[in-house]
Amino acid sequence: MIVLTDIAKQYGRVRANDSISLTLEPGRIYALVGENGAGKSTLMRILAGHTVPDSGTIAVRGASHARLTPALAASLGVGMLYQDPLDFPALPVWENFRLGGTARTRVQVVDKLGELSNHLGVCFLPDEPIAALTVGERQLLELLRLLDLGATTLILDEPTTGITPEQKRSLFGLLTRLAREENHTVVLVTHKLSEALEMADAIFVMRQGRLVSRLETPCGEDELVRLMFGEAVDRAGDVPPVSAPQTRRMVLDRAVFAGPKYHLGPLNIAAAPGEMIGLAGLDGSGQELFLRGLCGLDRLAEGGLELDGRRFERNDFKTLHKAGVHFVPADRMSQALFPDLSIREHILLAFPDQAARLEEFRREQCEGRFNLRAHPDTPAKSLSGGNQQRLLLSLIPDGAPLLLMEHPTRGLDAGSSLQVWEHLRERCRDGATIFFFSPDLDEVIEHSHRVLVFYDRMLVADVPRAQATVETLGALMAGKNLEAWHAA
Amino acid sequence: MPRSAWLEQTLWMLAAPALALALTVLVALPSGAPPLQTLQVLLLGGLGSMSKFGQVLTVFVPLMLCAAGLLVPFTARLWNIGIEGQVVLGAIFCTGALMPFDQGGPAHIALALAAGMLGGALWALLAGVLKTWGRVHEIFSGLGLNFVAMGLTIWLIFGPWKRPGVASMSGTETLDMSLWLDRMGRLASSWTALALAAAALVMVAVLLTRTQWGLSLKAVGQNPKAARLFDLSPRRRMLQAFALCGALGGLAGAVQVLGVYHRLLPSISSGYGYTALLVGMMASFRILPVPFICLFFAVLNVGSIQLPLQLNLDSSFSGVIQGLMVLSVFATQGLRAWLIRRREGC
Amino acid sequence: MHEFALVLAGILLAGAPLVLATLGETITEKAGVINLSLDGSMLLSAMAAFALASATGSPWTGALGGMAVGAAAAAILGLTNIYLGQSQLAVGFILTLLCRDLAYFLGHSYSRQPGPTFGLWGIPGLSDTPVLDALLGRQSPVVALSLAAIVLCWWWMYKTVGGMRLRAVGESPRAAFGRGIRVRLTRLAACLIGGALVGLAGAAYSLAVKPGWGRPQGCEGAGWIALAIVIFGGWHPVRAAIGAYFFAALQVSGIYLQELFPSVPAQVFQVAPFPMMILTLLAVNLGRVSFVQDMMRRYPFLKRFSGSWPITSPAALGQDFDPKKGL
Repeated sequence: MIVLTDIAKQYGRVRANDSISLTLEPGRIYALVGENGAGKSTLMRILAGHTVPDSGTIAVRGASHARLTPALAASLGVGMLYQDPLDFPALPVWENFRLGGTARTRVQVVDKLGELSNHLGVCFLPDEPIAALTVGERQLLELLRLLDLGATTLILDEPTTGITPEQKRSLFGLLTRLAREENHTVVLVTHKLSEALEMADAIFVMRQGRLVSRLETPCGEDELVRLMFGEAVDRAGDVPPVSAPQTRRMVLDRAVFAGPKYHLGPLNIAAAPGEMIGLAGLDGSGQELFLRGLCGLDRLAEGGLELDGRRFERNDFKTLHKAGVHFVPADRMSQALFPDLSIREHILLAFPDQAARLEEFRREQCEGRFNLRAHPDTPAKSLSGGNQQRLLLSLIPDGAPLLLMEHPTRGLDAGSSLQVWEHLRERCRDGATIFFFSPDLDEVIEHSHRVLVFYDRMLVADVPRAQATVETLGALMAGKNLEAWHAA
Repeated sequence: MPRSAWLEQTLWMLAAPALALALTVLVALPSGAPPLQTLQVLLLGGLGSMSKFGQVLTVFVPLMLCAAGLLVPFTARLWNIGIEGQVVLGAIFCTGALMPFDQGGPAHIALALAAGMLGGALWALLAGVLKTWGRVHEIFSGLGLNFVAMGLTIWLIFGPWKRPGVASMSGTETLDMSLWLDRMGRLASSWTALALAAAALVMVAVLLTRTQWGLSLKAVGQNPKAARLFDLSPRRRMLQAFALCGALGGLAGAVQVLGVYHRLLPSISSGYGYTALLVGMMASFRILPVPFICLFFAVLNVGSIQLPLQLNLDSSFSGVIQGLMVLSVFATQGLRAWLIRRREGC
Repeated sequence: MHEFALVLAGILLAGAPLVLATLGETITEKAGVINLSLDGSMLLSAMAAFALASATGSPWTGALGGMAVGAAAAAILGLTNIYLGQSQLAVGFILTLLCRDLAYFLGHSYSRQPGPTFGLWGIPGLSDTPVLDALLGRQSPVVALSLAAIVLCWWWMYKTVGGMRLRAVGESPRAAFGRGIRVRLTRLAACLIGGALVGLAGAAYSLAVKPGWGRPQGCEGAGWIALAIVIFGGWHPVRAAIGAYFFAALQVSGIYLQELFPSVPAQVFQVAPFPMMILTLLAVNLGRVSFVQDMMRRYPFLKRFSGSWPITSPAALGQDFDPKKGL
């Protein structure tokens, strides 16, 4: 039995956890839901000893602690599985299993691993480097390792991102067995309500650092949404119609993009002005390379790209940029902004010809059009996620014909996300073509005229809005129903 | 509140030199050097007379040129350790440009200086290209090219450019006086050289703080990936940064040939490139402290020549002091940050 | 054949200090720390070893002294980077210059003085096999030390838990921290052990390979070569040692090649290691250049050549880690 009392954690001005108290009982499955930035991961990291709280206590089986270390938490039976497995990619499976665990020789490790994986019907090659496994397999190995260490409380942070539906089914089956048969406590940290409702006995809802509610399942999804967001979320409405669907803004003709690890193609696609095209696919299926290839960051090894009638045999980044192709990466701070440069300097870099009337231009852009309310000298690293995205969008010139967004609402709260989509729709109405990717299938379906599905480094389907559902897309993303789809 | 903060600030500023002083004394003890007397010999050796000060200025100029040059690649987060070789190549090109002439005038001197800048720039571009196209870290390419440059110099001095008769370590044939830089009265230093150093610093300062190019370079240094998205041509800008730094380093080499030694020597760079790197690190690559630190280091360098003569100590003591000073800056910086983190209660 | 064995013996000797230094730096970098101070600290250790050996009359004491100095220099780097958060490259570079100047300054009185050396060891009973006899029959102890170091280093890194932990820290300090491994302590230990080996390399120079002290000593530049060999060897002890012997062979053969080609200036042979270093670094990175990738895609058989010498650095090399920041 685990009792958290008045846990508080502050990062700078942000209160990630604000006096949170909750109880976890053995043999039950809990879900911890909330949108991005609600503080779920922070709270769980504190429980797993990976972060130290500013105040509050953690009581495990009656013994109270002010703070935990990973080693201490492990000895208390708490194990945490990260979304991005915390393992050693270059080291082989057996060493990953051995590190931090009981003293065993290699032979003993291989035996133990074999024993545990037999239980689940999986197979691990002991000498294979972890980097060669899929995310789902890595997760499973981590889980086995934690169980071997004697973890009785298992925390899984966004466990189903990046795994196939089949892997998800077996993971959930395993978790259920662990809770019901072996009396373990399972905590699922997720922002996917459907999974929370499917698996959990009780759901904790967090919003802006506070624990707002604890609900027993079954409960209504609407109530959950209301608790998570605070008010009814306005669904963004239908997508604006495409004005001239026959015009060809962009055409890919037998194009092959060559990335650092693999290549994608051949691709044959056309897009019209005003179209919003969503991309769907598991991590590494090719959608990243698609976007990067279109803007010129990765090479066009074969075939041709046509933009507004102009044909390009080589996708030189500079040429495409001048022609109006703009790429917005998901990871803003590390790939798209300059952390120590101010808003003003960013604008000056993006619009050098406005240098003479910089102040006026900045005011127009930031305050007038993009609602970026921050002092112009603020360095980019000090801006909130929402403001960073607003800044990035404000740096794209009006009338840019082709926008490539890697994940437009990453790390944004609901309000900022809505604003971003409104802005993107406006650009579409003005004739821009937008390709975007989001790991959230609901978001992709909601905002696309059509969805391009990627699987195993290939474009496998072009799904119109009318047929885009989570089930259809999910199956195609996992490589199922491909023939059936193409026959239809 | 502000009073104690001001006090704290001053204390920390004094902490680094104080630590350096303490370490220097500690290090000097085993070799039996009397600390106060050593310091005295050092400072007097540099500032004791007008002619000594003239010497200091001749050291100051190449240091200043290199340090000013290094500010540029460092803004782009590039470690141009190859500056030593760039100085040498500047000296080589300068000497080579004057080979056909027995006598000359200001025009020839200008040509030689320009040749020196070209040599340094080309050598820097080599390291730059290896970095931007070959992904070879500039520390290794710079070092490797430094050694190659030294080898090149020795080969030239003992080979094609050797003095008629006997090739010797004292270098190539001395240049005719008409090809020497001007002098300040009886001092060893030259007005032209000083003016060039000052101009270099001002130009670099303006370039980095007031131009679009400087801002773009700063951006490239902070985040090359984002710089690409902003269409700032990070590769081209890095090469430009290398070339500019190399040009100034080459100029320093040319000044050494024309103003100080009047010929090409094996040790023409005298380690000024590396010392300039220390200057930059000590100033945390901020522009304002650079000239002052250069002057101080120059005083130390010239003063240390007296050490073997007067106290039977090795002249590398000046290098020891310089190294300890920069190390102390880093150590106190780190200590300060560590104390702040502890106070914030982690 | 006998001639050839003698040449090999020379390579073993000339390569011994390089092997030691390279192994030491491999350990340090495998944990994620780059120690740029090699060149300077080797000189300082060489001077310290010689001074101590002259004072006590025993080269072994001198060697211990050299190891202590090497570890001390690495400790400064380790402490300022790991615990005080300063840049590895900056501090390492400062130290390399500082240690060199310190070596010349403090060693002033030992310059060109005679002093003890390691002498030679004979392995009895080898006279039957002339080849082995030429190779190992009368060799300096530093050769034995270097060969032992290769084996020990490889065994410790890949066959013990301590070595596994070291590699884990170099791959992902966060994950290692999450497993309860003491990341900072491991890195500091790697610095100290690596530094001690570098110090031993310095002692090997001044007490065996290039005996004596002076300005210059003769081992200037060796530290930089060692840094390059670590990369060339893919951060693997045995491959790094092979690289070290390769460069030693270049140096040794330089003398012979000079006799064969007297018209080629001596400097070419002396500086040859450095352009070679640049060329190997280029070749290492060649696999990532886009043009080459294109060729490999069109002609898949080329992949076999690129795959045979995998050179991936420890993933967290050069990255700082602060456990206080948590995960």
